[in-house]
Amino acid sequence: MSSNENKVSSTLLAGLWKENPVFRLLLGMCPVLAVTAACKPALTMGFCVIFVLVCSNIVVSLMRNLLKPHLRILMFTLTIATFVTIADLLLKAFQPEMSTALGPYVPLIIVNCIIIGRAEACASKNDLLISIVDAISMGTGFTITLCVLAAVRELLSTGKIFELTVLPTVEAGGWFVPWTAMMLPVGAFVTLGLGLAIVNVICKKKQA
Amino acid sequence: MLKIKYFVQQSWLLVVSAFMFGLLIAVTNAALIDRINANNANKVTDKLKSLIPDADEFSKQESITIKSQQQSNVDVEIYKAVSDGQCQGWAFKAFGAGFADKITLIVVVDKSFEKIVGFSVLASNETPGFGDRISNSFYRDQFAGAPTEKLNLVKVGDADEIDSDIVAISGATVSSQAVVDIINNTMLQLKIKMLEKGMIQDE
Repeated sequence: MSSNENKVSSTLLAGLWKENPVFRLLLGMCPVLAVTAACKPALTMGFCVIFVLVCSNIVVSLMRNLLKPHLRILMFTLTIATFVTIADLLLKAFQPEMSTALGPYVPLIIVNCIIIGRAEACASKNDLLISIVDAISMGTGFTITLCVLAAVRELLSTGKIFELTVLPTVEAGGWFVPWTAMMLPVGAFVTLGLGLAIVNVICKKKQA
Repeated sequence: MLKIKYFVQQSWLLVVSAFMFGLLIAVTNAALIDRINANNANKVTDKLKSLIPDADEFSKQESITIKSQQQSNVDVEIYKAVSDGQCQGWAFKAFGAGFADKITLIVVVDKSFEKIVGFSVLASNETPGFGDRISNSFYRDQFAGAPTEKLNLVKVGDADEIDSDIVAISGATVSSQAVVDIINNTMLQLKIKMLEKGMIQDE
Protein backbone atom coordinates (compact mmCIF):
# COMPACT_ATOMS: atom_id res chain seq x y z
CA MET A 1 0.00 0.00 0.00
CA SER A 2 2.73 2.45 0.97
CA SER A 3 4.71 1.69 -2.19
CA ASN A 4 1.59 2.59 -4.19
CA GLU A 5 1.27 5.86 -2.30
CA ASN A 6 4.92 6.55 -2.96
CA LYS A 7 4.38 5.95 -6.64
CA VAL A 8 1.43 8.37 -6.68
CA SER A 9 3.36 11.16 -4.99
CA SER A 10 6.50 10.65 -7.09
CA THR A 11 4.35 10.65 -10.27
CA LEU A 12 2.64 13.79 -9.06
CA LEU A 13 5.94 15.62 -8.63
CA ALA A 14 7.69 14.24 -11.72
CA GLY A 15 5.87 16.45 -14.21
CA LEU A 16 6.62 19.63 -12.32
CA TRP A 17 10.40 19.41 -12.31
CA LYS A 18 12.21 16.11 -12.79
CA GLU A 19 10.33 15.18 -15.95
CA ASN A 20 8.96 18.59 -16.85
CA PRO A 21 7.57 18.09 -20.37
CA VAL A 22 9.02 21.32 -21.77
CA PHE A 23 12.35 21.84 -20.03
CA ARG A 24 13.41 18.24 -19.33
CA LEU A 25 11.67 16.13 -21.99
CA LEU A 26 11.52 18.83 -24.70
CA LEU A 27 8.05 17.73 -25.79
CA GLY A 28 5.23 19.83 -27.22
CA MET A 29 7.52 22.47 -28.71
CA CYS A 30 4.88 23.62 -31.19
CA PRO A 31 2.56 25.27 -28.62
CA VAL A 32 5.56 26.35 -26.54
CA LEU A 33 6.87 28.42 -29.42
CA ALA A 34 3.57 29.47 -30.92
CA VAL A 35 1.20 30.51 -28.13
CA THR A 36 3.54 32.03 -25.56
CA ALA A 37 3.36 35.59 -26.90
CA ALA A 38 0.93 36.51 -24.12
CA CYS A 39 -0.16 34.93 -20.83
CA LYS A 40 -3.87 34.55 -21.45
CA PRO A 41 -3.66 32.33 -24.56
CA ALA A 42 -0.84 30.36 -22.91
CA LEU A 43 -2.98 29.65 -19.86
CA THR A 44 -5.96 28.70 -22.04
CA MET A 45 -3.75 26.37 -24.06
CA GLY A 46 -2.47 24.85 -20.80
CA PHE A 47 -5.99 24.13 -19.57
CA CYS A 48 -6.94 22.58 -22.92
CA VAL A 49 -3.91 20.29 -22.73
CA ILE A 50 -4.74 19.30 -19.13
CA PHE A 51 -8.32 18.49 -20.17
CA VAL A 52 -7.26 16.39 -23.17
CA LEU A 53 -4.45 14.71 -21.25
CA VAL A 54 -6.66 13.67 -18.34
CA CYS A 55 -9.50 12.43 -20.58
CA SER A 56 -7.27 10.50 -22.97
CA ASN A 57 -5.22 8.98 -20.14
CA ILE A 58 -8.44 7.77 -18.49
CA VAL A 59 -9.73 6.16 -21.69
CA VAL A 60 -6.38 4.64 -22.65
CA SER A 61 -5.85 3.29 -19.14
CA LEU A 62 -9.32 1.70 -19.15
CA MET A 63 -8.79 -0.07 -22.45
CA ARG A 64 -5.12 -0.93 -21.97
CA ASN A 65 -5.81 -4.66 -21.62
CA LEU A 66 -7.87 -4.77 -24.81
CA LEU A 67 -5.28 -3.01 -27.00
CA LYS A 68 -3.65 -4.92 -29.83
CA PRO A 69 0.01 -3.85 -29.84
CA HIS A 70 0.19 -3.00 -33.54
CA LEU A 71 -3.04 -0.97 -33.43
CA ARG A 72 -2.27 0.96 -30.25
CA ILE A 73 -0.99 4.18 -31.84
CA LEU A 74 -4.13 4.29 -33.98
CA MET A 75 -6.30 3.95 -30.88
CA PHE A 76 -4.32 6.64 -29.03
CA THR A 77 -4.68 9.08 -31.90
CA LEU A 78 -8.40 8.36 -32.23
CA THR A 79 -8.93 8.96 -28.50
CA ILE A 80 -6.86 12.14 -28.44
CA ALA A 81 -8.50 13.55 -31.59
CA THR A 82 -11.94 13.05 -30.04
CA PHE A 83 -11.13 14.99 -26.90
CA VAL A 84 -9.29 17.72 -28.78
CA THR A 85 -12.36 18.24 -30.96
CA ILE A 86 -14.51 18.49 -27.83
CA ALA A 87 -12.05 20.95 -26.26
CA ASP A 88 -12.12 23.01 -29.45
CA LEU A 89 -15.93 23.12 -29.45
CA LEU A 90 -16.02 24.07 -25.75
CA LEU A 91 -13.54 26.87 -26.37
CA LYS A 92 -15.53 28.18 -29.33
CA ALA A 93 -18.70 28.17 -27.26
CA PHE A 94 -17.44 29.65 -23.99
CA GLN A 95 -14.22 31.50 -24.85
CA PRO A 96 -14.70 32.71 -28.45
CA GLU A 97 -12.01 35.37 -28.05
CA MET A 98 -9.38 32.87 -26.94
CA SER A 99 -10.50 30.49 -29.66
CA THR A 100 -9.70 33.13 -32.29
CA ALA A 101 -6.42 34.01 -30.59
CA LEU A 102 -5.24 30.39 -30.51
CA GLY A 103 -6.52 29.70 -34.02
CA PRO A 104 -5.17 26.45 -35.46
CA TYR A 105 -3.13 25.60 -32.36
CA VAL A 106 -6.11 24.06 -30.56
CA PRO A 107 -6.75 21.38 -33.24
CA LEU A 108 -2.97 20.90 -33.35
CA ILE A 109 -3.03 19.55 -29.77
CA ILE A 110 -3.84 16.25 -31.50
CA VAL A 111 -0.22 15.98 -32.61
CA ASN A 112 1.19 17.28 -29.33
CA CYS A 113 3.71 14.60 -28.39
CA ILE A 114 3.20 15.10 -24.64
CA ILE A 115 -0.26 13.57 -24.88
CA ILE A 116 0.57 10.63 -27.13
CA GLY A 117 3.80 10.19 -25.17
CA ARG A 118 1.98 9.91 -21.85
CA ALA A 119 -0.60 7.54 -23.37
CA GLU A 120 2.22 5.30 -24.58
CA ALA A 121 4.60 5.61 -21.62
CA CYS A 122 2.20 5.75 -18.72
CA ALA A 123 -1.51 5.21 -19.33
CA SER A 124 -1.16 2.04 -21.41
CA LYS A 125 0.89 0.40 -18.66
CA ASN A 126 -0.60 1.70 -15.41
CA ASP A 127 -3.90 1.59 -13.57
CA LEU A 128 -6.49 4.36 -13.60
CA LEU A 129 -5.30 6.25 -10.51
CA ILE A 130 -1.65 6.52 -11.59
CA SER A 131 -2.75 7.54 -15.11
CA ILE A 132 -4.93 10.37 -13.84
CA VAL A 133 -2.26 11.60 -11.42
CA ASP A 134 0.32 11.46 -14.20
CA ALA A 135 -1.94 13.43 -16.55
CA ILE A 136 -2.57 16.13 -13.95
CA SER A 137 1.12 16.34 -13.07
CA MET A 138 2.34 16.53 -16.67
CA GLY A 139 -0.44 18.93 -17.66
CA THR A 140 0.25 21.26 -14.74
CA GLY A 141 4.00 21.18 -15.42
CA PHE A 142 3.33 22.08 -19.04
CA THR A 143 0.90 24.87 -18.14
CA ILE A 144 3.21 26.45 -15.56
CA THR A 145 6.16 26.38 -17.96
CA LEU A 146 4.06 27.86 -20.74
CA CYS A 147 2.88 30.66 -18.43
CA VAL A 148 6.41 31.47 -17.24
CA LEU A 149 7.69 31.76 -20.81
CA ALA A 150 4.62 33.77 -21.82
CA ALA A 151 5.02 36.11 -18.85
CA VAL A 152 8.63 36.90 -19.84
CA ARG A 153 7.66 37.51 -23.47
CA GLU A 154 4.55 39.54 -22.69
CA LEU A 155 6.42 41.66 -20.14
CA LEU A 156 9.26 42.49 -22.53
CA SER A 157 7.09 43.00 -25.62
CA THR A 158 4.27 45.06 -24.10
CA GLY A 159 5.26 45.85 -20.50
CA LYS A 160 2.24 43.92 -19.27
CA ILE A 161 1.56 40.60 -17.57
CA PHE A 162 -1.94 39.17 -17.96
CA GLU A 163 -2.84 42.49 -19.63
CA LEU A 164 -2.00 44.37 -16.40
CA THR A 165 0.64 47.07 -16.80
CA VAL A 166 3.85 46.29 -14.93
CA LEU A 167 6.33 48.45 -16.82
CA PRO A 168 4.85 51.74 -18.08
CA THR A 169 5.67 52.01 -21.79
CA VAL A 170 6.93 55.13 -23.53
CA GLU A 171 3.68 55.39 -25.51
CA ALA A 172 1.73 55.63 -22.25
CA GLY A 173 4.15 58.20 -20.82
CA GLY A 174 6.44 55.79 -18.97
CA TRP A 175 10.08 54.84 -19.55
CA PHE A 176 9.94 51.30 -20.97
CA VAL A 177 10.59 50.81 -24.67
CA PRO A 178 8.75 47.61 -25.72
CA TRP A 179 10.83 44.95 -27.46
CA THR A 180 8.58 44.09 -30.38
CA ALA A 181 10.90 41.21 -31.31
CA MET A 182 9.81 39.33 -28.19
CA MET A 183 6.30 39.11 -29.65
CA LEU A 184 7.65 37.55 -32.85
CA PRO A 185 8.84 33.95 -33.30
CA VAL A 186 12.43 35.02 -32.58
CA GLY A 187 11.35 35.99 -29.06
CA ALA A 188 9.94 32.50 -28.55
CA PHE A 189 13.20 30.80 -29.53
CA VAL A 190 15.35 33.15 -27.44
CA THR A 191 13.15 32.82 -24.33
CA LEU A 192 12.94 29.04 -24.64
CA GLY A 193 16.70 28.75 -25.20
CA LEU A 194 17.54 30.89 -22.18
CA GLY A 195 14.98 28.99 -20.08
CA LEU A 196 16.55 25.66 -21.08
CA ALA A 197 20.03 26.98 -20.28
CA ILE A 198 18.96 28.12 -16.80
CA VAL A 199 17.28 24.79 -16.05
CA ASN A 200 20.36 22.87 -17.27
CA VAL A 201 22.68 24.95 -15.10
CA ILE A 202 20.50 24.31 -12.04
CA CYS A 203 20.40 20.57 -12.77
CA LYS A 204 24.20 20.38 -13.23
CA LYS A 205 24.73 22.23 -9.95
CA LYS A 206 22.39 19.81 -8.19
CA GLN A 207 24.26 16.79 -9.54
CA ALA A 208 27.67 18.09 -8.56
CA MET B 1 -14.18 -17.49 -42.91
CA LEU B 2 -11.16 -17.70 -40.66
CA LYS B 3 -9.86 -14.48 -42.13
CA ILE B 4 -13.03 -12.57 -41.25
CA LYS B 5 -12.86 -13.86 -37.70
CA TYR B 6 -9.25 -12.69 -37.48
CA PHE B 7 -10.10 -9.22 -38.76
CA VAL B 8 -12.98 -8.85 -36.32
CA GLN B 9 -10.79 -10.01 -33.45
CA GLN B 10 -8.16 -7.46 -34.32
CA SER B 11 -10.33 -4.48 -35.06
CA TRP B 12 -13.52 -4.70 -33.00
CA LEU B 13 -12.16 -2.28 -30.40
CA LEU B 14 -11.29 0.26 -33.07
CA VAL B 15 -14.71 0.04 -34.73
CA VAL B 16 -16.62 0.20 -31.45
CA SER B 17 -14.62 3.13 -30.09
CA ALA B 18 -14.83 5.00 -33.39
CA PHE B 19 -18.63 4.83 -33.09
CA MET B 20 -18.59 5.79 -29.42
CA PHE B 21 -16.24 8.73 -29.98
CA GLY B 22 -18.26 9.85 -33.00
CA LEU B 23 -21.38 9.81 -30.86
CA LEU B 24 -19.61 11.78 -28.12
CA ILE B 25 -18.55 14.48 -30.58
CA ALA B 26 -22.02 14.59 -32.15
CA VAL B 27 -23.66 15.10 -28.75
CA THR B 28 -21.20 17.84 -27.76
CA ASN B 29 -21.64 19.53 -31.10
CA ALA B 30 -25.44 19.41 -30.85
CA ALA B 31 -25.29 20.88 -27.36
CA LEU B 32 -22.95 23.74 -28.25
CA ILE B 33 -23.69 24.64 -31.88
CA ASP B 34 -26.33 27.25 -31.03
CA ARG B 35 -23.96 29.02 -28.69
CA ILE B 36 -21.12 28.96 -31.22
CA ASN B 37 -23.35 30.39 -33.96
CA ALA B 38 -24.60 33.07 -31.59
CA ASN B 39 -21.01 33.97 -30.69
CA ASN B 40 -20.09 34.38 -34.35
CA ALA B 41 -23.13 36.55 -35.03
CA ASN B 42 -22.44 38.66 -31.92
CA LYS B 43 -18.89 39.28 -33.04
CA VAL B 44 -20.10 41.08 -36.18
CA THR B 45 -22.86 42.96 -34.34
CA ASP B 46 -20.48 44.09 -31.58
CA LYS B 47 -18.04 45.49 -34.12
CA LEU B 48 -20.89 47.23 -35.97
CA LYS B 49 -22.22 48.67 -32.70
CA SER B 50 -18.83 50.18 -31.91
CA LEU B 51 -18.66 51.76 -35.38
CA ILE B 52 -22.23 53.18 -35.42
CA PRO B 53 -23.30 53.57 -31.80
CA ASP B 54 -26.52 55.37 -32.86
CA ALA B 55 -28.03 52.46 -34.74
CA ASP B 56 -30.06 49.97 -32.77
CA GLU B 57 -30.64 47.38 -35.46
CA PHE B 58 -28.57 45.88 -38.24
CA SER B 59 -30.67 44.12 -40.83
CA LYS B 60 -28.90 41.81 -43.22
CA GLN B 61 -29.60 42.66 -46.86
CA GLU B 62 -29.38 40.55 -49.96
CA SER B 63 -25.76 39.85 -50.86
CA ILE B 64 -24.31 41.61 -53.88
CA THR B 65 -21.93 39.83 -56.21
CA ILE B 66 -18.75 41.70 -57.14
CA LYS B 67 -15.43 40.84 -58.71
CA SER B 68 -12.69 39.99 -56.22
CA GLN B 69 -9.12 41.20 -56.57
CA GLN B 70 -8.42 37.99 -58.46
CA GLN B 71 -11.36 38.73 -60.82
CA SER B 72 -13.57 35.90 -59.56
CA ASN B 73 -17.17 36.44 -58.45
CA VAL B 74 -17.68 36.82 -54.71
CA ASP B 75 -20.76 37.63 -52.65
CA VAL B 76 -20.54 40.58 -50.28
CA GLU B 77 -22.63 40.57 -47.11
CA ILE B 78 -24.41 43.88 -46.59
CA TYR B 79 -26.04 45.20 -43.44
CA LYS B 80 -28.34 48.19 -43.15
CA ALA B 81 -28.00 50.13 -39.91
CA VAL B 82 -31.41 51.32 -38.75
CA SER B 83 -32.51 53.49 -35.85
CA ASP B 84 -36.17 54.52 -35.35
CA GLY B 85 -36.94 53.31 -38.87
CA GLN B 86 -34.35 55.67 -40.34
CA CYS B 87 -31.37 54.38 -42.30
CA GLN B 88 -28.20 55.40 -40.47
CA GLY B 89 -25.68 53.84 -42.81
CA TRP B 90 -24.51 50.73 -44.55
CA ALA B 91 -22.00 48.12 -43.52
CA PHE B 92 -20.35 45.50 -45.65
CA LYS B 93 -17.80 42.75 -45.24
CA ALA B 94 -14.72 43.11 -47.40
CA PHE B 95 -11.88 40.65 -47.72
CA GLY B 96 -8.72 40.13 -49.68
CA ALA B 97 -5.08 39.17 -49.45
CA GLY B 98 -3.01 40.64 -46.63
CA PHE B 99 0.70 40.26 -45.90
CA ALA B 100 0.47 36.83 -44.30
CA ASP B 101 -3.11 35.68 -44.72
CA LYS B 102 -6.59 36.76 -45.76
CA ILE B 103 -7.82 39.93 -44.09
CA THR B 104 -11.54 40.28 -43.42
CA LEU B 105 -12.81 43.77 -42.64
CA ILE B 106 -16.17 45.20 -41.84
CA VAL B 107 -16.56 48.64 -43.39
CA VAL B 108 -19.26 51.16 -42.50
CA VAL B 109 -20.33 54.01 -44.80
CA ASP B 110 -22.96 56.70 -44.26
CA LYS B 111 -26.52 56.41 -45.56
CA SER B 112 -25.86 58.14 -48.89
CA PHE B 113 -22.64 56.16 -49.43
CA GLU B 114 -20.57 59.33 -49.61
CA LYS B 115 -18.32 59.10 -46.60
CA ILE B 116 -16.66 56.21 -44.83
CA VAL B 117 -17.64 56.01 -41.17
CA GLY B 118 -14.92 53.56 -40.27
CA PHE B 119 -13.72 50.00 -40.51
CA SER B 120 -12.91 47.21 -38.14
CA VAL B 121 -10.76 44.10 -38.60
CA LEU B 122 -12.82 40.92 -38.26
CA ALA B 123 -10.05 38.45 -39.00
CA SER B 124 -6.41 38.82 -39.92
CA ASN B 125 -3.09 37.14 -39.34
CA GLU B 126 -0.69 40.05 -39.87
CA THR B 127 2.73 40.17 -38.19
CA PRO B 128 2.36 41.01 -34.48
CA GLY B 129 3.80 44.40 -33.66
CA PHE B 130 3.90 45.52 -37.31
CA GLY B 131 1.06 44.55 -39.65
CA ASP B 132 -1.45 44.05 -36.86
CA ARG B 133 -1.30 47.80 -36.19
CA ILE B 134 -3.92 48.17 -38.95
CA SER B 135 -6.42 47.98 -36.09
CA ASN B 136 -4.70 50.80 -34.16
CA SER B 137 -6.22 54.25 -34.06
CA PHE B 138 -3.37 56.01 -35.95
CA TYR B 139 -4.24 54.09 -39.09
CA ARG B 140 -7.94 53.45 -38.59
CA ASP B 141 -8.91 57.02 -37.71
CA GLN B 142 -7.77 58.21 -41.13
CA PHE B 143 -10.70 56.36 -42.70
CA ALA B 144 -13.38 57.96 -40.53
CA GLY B 145 -14.84 60.67 -42.73
CA ALA B 146 -12.82 59.86 -45.84
CA PRO B 147 -14.78 60.10 -49.11
CA THR B 148 -15.96 56.91 -50.80
CA GLU B 149 -13.70 57.46 -53.77
CA LYS B 150 -10.57 55.62 -54.72
CA LEU B 151 -8.26 55.78 -51.71
CA ASN B 152 -4.50 56.15 -52.13
CA LEU B 153 -1.78 55.01 -49.81
CA VAL B 154 0.99 57.54 -49.21
CA LYS B 155 4.16 56.95 -47.23
CA VAL B 156 4.59 60.55 -46.08
CA GLY B 157 1.69 62.81 -45.27
CA ASP B 158 -0.48 64.30 -42.60
CA ALA B 159 -2.43 61.50 -40.91
CA ASP B 160 -4.73 64.00 -39.17
CA GLU B 161 -5.98 65.41 -42.46
CA ILE B 162 -9.06 63.44 -43.51
CA ASP B 163 -9.03 62.92 -47.28
CA SER B 164 -8.59 60.10 -49.75
CA ASP B 165 -4.86 59.91 -48.95
CA ILE B 166 -4.15 57.31 -46.29
CA VAL B 167 -0.75 57.47 -44.58
CA ALA B 168 0.89 54.06 -44.31
CA ILE B 169 2.06 52.54 -41.02
CA SER B 170 5.85 52.63 -40.94
CA GLY B 171 7.18 49.08 -41.07
CA ALA B 172 3.90 47.74 -42.39
CA THR B 173 3.46 49.17 -45.87
CA VAL B 174 2.20 45.90 -47.33
CA SER B 175 -0.52 45.50 -44.71
CA SER B 176 -1.50 49.18 -45.05
CA GLN B 177 -1.70 48.82 -48.81
CA ALA B 178 -3.70 45.60 -48.49
CA VAL B 179 -6.40 47.27 -46.39
CA VAL B 180 -6.66 50.20 -48.82
CA ASP B 181 -6.88 47.81 -51.79
CA ILE B 182 -9.52 45.64 -50.12
CA ILE B 183 -11.66 48.66 -49.24
CA ASN B 184 -11.21 50.23 -52.69
CA ASN B 185 -12.09 47.07 -54.56
CA THR B 186 -15.23 46.27 -52.59
CA MET B 187 -16.46 49.80 -51.92
CA LEU B 188 -16.21 51.17 -55.46
CA GLN B 189 -18.01 48.20 -57.02
CA LEU B 190 -20.67 48.15 -54.31
CA LYS B 191 -21.36 51.86 -54.76
CA ILE B 192 -22.16 51.35 -58.45
CA LYS B 193 -24.24 48.21 -57.86
CA MET B 194 -26.20 49.76 -55.01
CA LEU B 195 -26.94 52.88 -57.08
CA GLU B 196 -28.20 50.63 -59.89
CA LYS B 197 -30.42 48.73 -57.48
CA GLY B 198 -31.80 51.95 -56.04
CA MET B 199 -30.70 51.10 -52.52
CA ILE B 200 -29.00 54.48 -52.34
CA GLN B 201 -29.75 57.70 -54.24
CA ASP B 202 -27.25 59.81 -56.15
CA GLU B 203 -27.56 63.37 -55.01
